[in-house]
Amino acid sequence: MTASTIPAPAAPRDATLPAPVERVLDNGLRVVAFSQRNLPLIAAQLVVRGGSAVEREDEAGLSALVAALLTQGTTARGATELAAATDALGARLDAGSGFDASLLSVSATTPAFPYAFALLDEVLRRPAFAPREVERVRTKSISDLALTYANPGAVARLVAQRVAYGGSPYGHPVAGTVATLAALGRDRVAWFHERFYRPDDAVLVIGGDLETDDAFALADRELGSWRAPDTPLDVPPEAAIPPPRTRVVIVDKPDAARTALVVGRVSIERGSPDYYAAIVAAAVLHGYSGRINQEIRVKRGLSYGAGAALSVRRMPGLFTASTLIDHTRAVEATDVTLAVIRSLVDAPASDDDLVSRKATVTGAFYRAIETIDGITGSLAEHALYGVPLAELAAYTRRVQAVDAAAVREFAARRFVPDDFIVLVGDASKFASEIEQTYADVRVIPSAQLDLGSPTLGG
Amino acid sequence: MNRKPVSALPTIPAIAIDVAPISYADRTLANGLRAILVVNRRVPSVAINVAYRVGGKDDPPGRSGFAHLFEHLMFKGTSRTAPETIDRLTEDVGGFNNAFTSEDITNYYEVVPSNHLERLLWAEADRLASLDVNAANFATERDVVIGEYDQRILAEPYGMLDELVNREAYAVHPYRRGVIGSPDELSAASLDDVVAFHATYYRPDNAILVVSGDFDVDEASRWVDAYFGAIPTPAPAIPRVAAVEPEQTAERTFEYRAANVPLAAAEEAYHIPAASHPDAAALEVLETVLGAGRSSRLYTSLVYDKQVATNANAAADLREHPGLFGLRVTCARGVALADARAALAAEVERVRTEPPGEAELIRARTQIASSIVRSRQTNSGVALMLVQSTVDRGDPGLVNDDLARYLAVTGDDVVRVAETYLRAENRTVVEYLPL
Repeated sequence: MTASTIPAPAAPRDATLPAPVERVLDNGLRVVAFSQRNLPLIAAQLVVRGGSAVEREDEAGLSALVAALLTQGTTARGATELAAATDALGARLDAGSGFDASLLSVSATTPAFPYAFALLDEVLRRPAFAPREVERVRTKSISDLALTYANPGAVARLVAQRVAYGGSPYGHPVAGTVATLAALGRDRVAWFHERFYRPDDAVLVIGGDLETDDAFALADRELGSWRAPDTPLDVPPEAAIPPPRTRVVIVDKPDAARTALVVGRVSIERGSPDYYAAIVAAAVLHGYSGRINQEIRVKRGLSYGAGAALSVRRMPGLFTASTLIDHTRAVEATDVTLAVIRSLVDAPASDDDLVSRKATVTGAFYRAIETIDGITGSLAEHALYGVPLAELAAYTRRVQAVDAAAVREFAARRFVPDDFIVLVGDASKFASEIEQTYADVRVIPSAQLDLGSPTLGG
Repeated sequence: MNRKPVSALPTIPAIAIDVAPISYADRTLANGLRAILVVNRRVPSVAINVAYRVGGKDDPPGRSGFAHLFEHLMFKGTSRTAPETIDRLTEDVGGFNNAFTSEDITNYYEVVPSNHLERLLWAEADRLASLDVNAANFATERDVVIGEYDQRILAEPYGMLDELVNREAYAVHPYRRGVIGSPDELSAASLDDVVAFHATYYRPDNAILVVSGDFDVDEASRWVDAYFGAIPTPAPAIPRVAAVEPEQTAERTFEYRAANVPLAAAEEAYHIPAASHPDAAALEVLETVLGAGRSSRLYTSLVYDKQVATNANAAADLREHPGLFGLRVTCARGVALADARAALAAEVERVRTEPPGEAELIRARTQIASSIVRSRQTNSGVALMLVQSTVDRGDPGLVNDDLARYLAVTGDDVVRVAETYLRAENRTVVEYLPL
């Protein structure tokens, strides 16, 4: 029979990553290349520094609309022909946008890649923005919002974003609102594309089954003729983030099945020297065996799941802890969640505790870098946020170097103080109790909630 | 905006995609366990798969859904470990785990940082050797599985169609019972049935272990010997499905109605040979030509040009025993099912008579080849490929011939398999209509 006790883990091994090389093309495009020739597959990602943070408040959702439309037809072929061309190459071609950037990605087998890369160039530089497609995508985006607003957890995250950032650049929803989307048309889509999709403010990462010199040659051949517009480069917004106006926001949504809770605060930016301590601190809280789930689910049965997340961006991003609970237990869940976050300081994790929490961070990293899309995406993120590319190869060592004292010290500064609370659910079941326990509480009826307003309307 | 000339639709030459063969150590332990080890030390991560040759087709009579129920019970702890031990050994160290049950196998898999490999081998051997099922966790998991049936089969639009197709297309072979089974039969199962099932199928000579990723092959072999090698093999032979589906000689058509059918749909299911048959590759190319993606024939003709369907696809369901080639169409609003089926029939006739053009063939081959290459990127993708090849074709090494097999399929091959299998008398049609 098998040995009766489980063997101990061995010492962890480190990953070896291909060394990235970079050059700047004459048009200002920064190109990062890496060579990893284990399989006949090549991937590329093009990132432009225009995301939702550069949108005007009354045009929220514009960058997402532009990205969604890029793959819906070019001046050379319509949406269906574009899909057919991508299929014919066995390629994947996608576009998307986030707070700080918009991006296009493509991958294909080695012989098909030059053709697939030409398709990326085509959708990047020659999108049709056909009025019919603009209308179709806009209508779909608006109907998708109805799904979002029916979900208390999604509403709580959007409210938390507003409480954290108010009218500063990360405050408005990336997907826009019904009102902002309804006002957007082809002209504004084309304007955004013209202004922000430009080589002198973009990064291209190409990697996989090719030599880096060949990657640069390919980049130059397809994108060397890409010219920046005459407009000066936009300086990324550096608006100060206002402190939250209200500590506790309750959205009264009597039809919600459960109450969504988000506790959060603005934390750190990607370039911060605290980055690795921050992700380890978040890992102490997050995951099945993380402290939040242990307290909320395992010990108290308050919810099926609970966790923490840290979103790092160019400017300080959001740290949140969230869960979904029965309306009548909203106060208990709030108290427990705040106490768990505080426990990072009051009952700090030991170096031994950190071994498995750090493993959850490095394990996810190992899975990400198994694929060239994963390596390409990680390098693009480093480039976007101005982090030295060599940091990627040092990722595991940086995480391992974080000790218990660093986690406690970081949490005391950047997770625990100045937090805010958002609850979305049937307020009749918990609002008065919250008001007795916490100061500075605002209740907004769901029908009056306006995510398009820095103050949430109402 | 600056302009540059736009090339026409890229026409690429028949591409030669070449991949290095997967090299592996393959041995069978004295107790019959087959262990396949693939070393790839690039990323410090490892995938472990343990596949048992027991699936929906092997469910005991009157106990359909049993193999799948059993999959759930394998997470409930052993005489040495607490429930959810596998979850803790994976999720808490940066990995994950899951399992699936198909018609032919039940496959358990984990991905963990490589320094945890020995622990997972211990845990997989432990749950093979000493699974601990009691009345309480058996009852709980049975309810979970019945809940899954309610959600996936009853509540999901068209959720029952796959079940109906299997039930009607097979007259004799147990593939007719599907995998999820029936709630009535699951409710009738007892704890004794569970114990008997584990004893019958969860034995080393019915298991295939595949480990793929960052490890030393000698060290891992020693762990496999230490933890799996001592598990005894029961004396009785493993029961195998002997039923052979007789050749179908006349078309069969069935009509069903259900509440969660928003638009009328139909599936035409044609009998095809097993995954090990030489025609398998051509059938997959046929599937791609007819029904994969927005540039496939069915989508272009039925959805885009004629607008008689909201959805139309093809699926070559190749199994260990003879499977089914399914053509499925969902009507566009206001279109009669007969009209949508007529459009489908026209495409079937066309593919039976007219070889695909060179560009179309290249597209299909390229799509299949690209998907194989992408699967090769991850340890879990490689491990699953080896499991499937071993189960379906008896030889893990055939994965190294797959690219060449698909790239060798000609237009005449496609027409030949379409003529051979896409015949009216070889098909079962299930029409699925709103109430």
